Amino acid sequence: MSGGLRAEVAAIAAGEVDPSELLGATLERIEQRNPVLNAVVETFPERSREMLAAAPPGPLHGVPIVIKDEWPLPWRAQRFGAAQLLAPTAAGESGPYRALRDAGAVVVGVGNMHELGAGSTGNTSFYGPARNPWDTERCPGGSSSGPAASVAARLVAGAVGADGLGSVRFPAAYCGLTGFKRPVGRSAMEGHHMATVTTLIVSGPLCADAADCRLLGSVLFGEQLEASDAPGLRIGVVRDSVSEDVTPEVREACETAIEALRAETGGEVREISLPDLGAATLAAILIINSESMSGVTPEQLNDLDPELSPIARGSLKYRMLLPTAATVQASRVRTLMRRRLAALFADVDVIAWPTVPAPAPPLESPLVELPSGTLTADQANVRGAALANLTGIPSISVPVGLSTEGLPLALQLQAAWGKDELLLDAAEALERANERRWVESLPPLAEVEPTEA
Amino acid sequence: MPDPADHLGLPAEMEASARPDDFIPAGLASLGIEADEVDLAVMVAVHGIFWPPILELLALDTSGLELERCPDLSKAPQ
Repeated sequence: MSGGLRAEVAAIAAGEVDPSELLGATLERIEQRNPVLNAVVETFPERSREMLAAAPPGPLHGVPIVIKDEWPLPWRAQRFGAAQLLAPTAAGESGPYRALRDAGAVVVGVGNMHELGAGSTGNTSFYGPARNPWDTERCPGGSSSGPAASVAARLVAGAVGADGLGSVRFPAAYCGLTGFKRPVGRSAMEGHHMATVTTLIVSGPLCADAADCRLLGSVLFGEQLEASDAPGLRIGVVRDSVSEDVTPEVREACETAIEALRAETGGEVREISLPDLGAATLAAILIINSESMSGVTPEQLNDLDPELSPIARGSLKYRMLLPTAATVQASRVRTLMRRRLAALFADVDVIAWPTVPAPAPPLESPLVELPSGTLTADQANVRGAALANLTGIPSISVPVGLSTEGLPLALQLQAAWGKDELLLDAAEALERANERRWVESLPPLAEVEPTEA
Repeated sequence: MPDPADHLGLPAEMEASARPDDFIPAGLASLGIEADEVDLAVMVAVHGIFWPPILELLALDTSGLELERCPDLSKAPQ
């Protein structure tokens, strides 16, 4: 079975499914489907069986989960999708691992990721790119490419990603999943090898729908995220490049979804103004660059592994040249945008705009055609994602349609600090509004049941 | 045409590194970072994407802004 996280939990709790059989079936699915996806870069059946044997009763008892190659496990150091890391790594108990273990979950595999976490497409990795289950010639999104592809292909019902500039929300959008980013400091992050990156990256769940994200997120965050309705939701929309420089299909799908959400909650849509979004995006990039390069020496950059991609090599060296004055100004822009958002959230409950401006581009050429012209997917995607990381607000990506080419389209909702539960409530309201059509859509690859399972 | 930097009395190395075309090689040289042709091509492309908005960012007037001190990013600003 792979009917979603809640279904697996309920079936195990009711005694309808033996968790060891579920683990075996999951490993078989990975063996069958993963070769075309490259979503899971390593399994360790014996370790998983040991985890299951020791699994305590808990909200995820016996449920197999994929974790991104961003955290260590007790038996495996992370690679961060790269031939070389600039900070030391070692096997060990990371925060996300401990949270999963203590909830009774079973880590069944490690998910592929974009090299060094530095891309929104997933098309570059030490392991080779993960592929999008909706079209294996397309990008799965990054940097949490493998976790997303794993869930979209229903290898597992839930996966743990990480989001520093949109890295949970981009692959959620490209793969037709729900991806949830909480504020920094509110999710398990211990053991992340980039200890200096302290203000932007968070761990986050990738699941089929919002209720599964609520379940996995509650485990990762160490607190129960309660469900409620979102009556009278005040939805803020911004008329800016982030919502208008998008493909016509994305725009239509998101506008339809916003109206459906308004109708479902009996709420209203308000146009709002949020100036300097471009500056906010750059500020987030500059801050994460400065944090991630802290402690990196020129000698290290002169000794880069030749297997690192040319883009990673050149980008790492360029980051060393970024002016301090710009990073200081970035901190000021962070304050500016936090204050502006605080004022805006007095008038609206959520801000809605497309998660990404175009559906998943080809792996071989990750470019997107937008009204403003041709951009790299990375350039275009980060415009809508970085604000949440910069300012700390929670954010969620929700599937809202399929393109004419059969690729997922997604809406992003952002809420004020502390309104994480409201975001999940709003996402569930949107699912009700479209009769769960998009969260239950499956790529053809996931509809074929493994013969042995 | 005389270089405006000539009037500043700066050391020759600083004058050279102030020129935009020299930004990348001069920056690398000052830090002792080696780069081959591929590295440089990537860096020029990245510079082309990032530098114009960096200049815009620096030009943004934030002079009246009271900075948050040690902000808790999981909470609204004080």
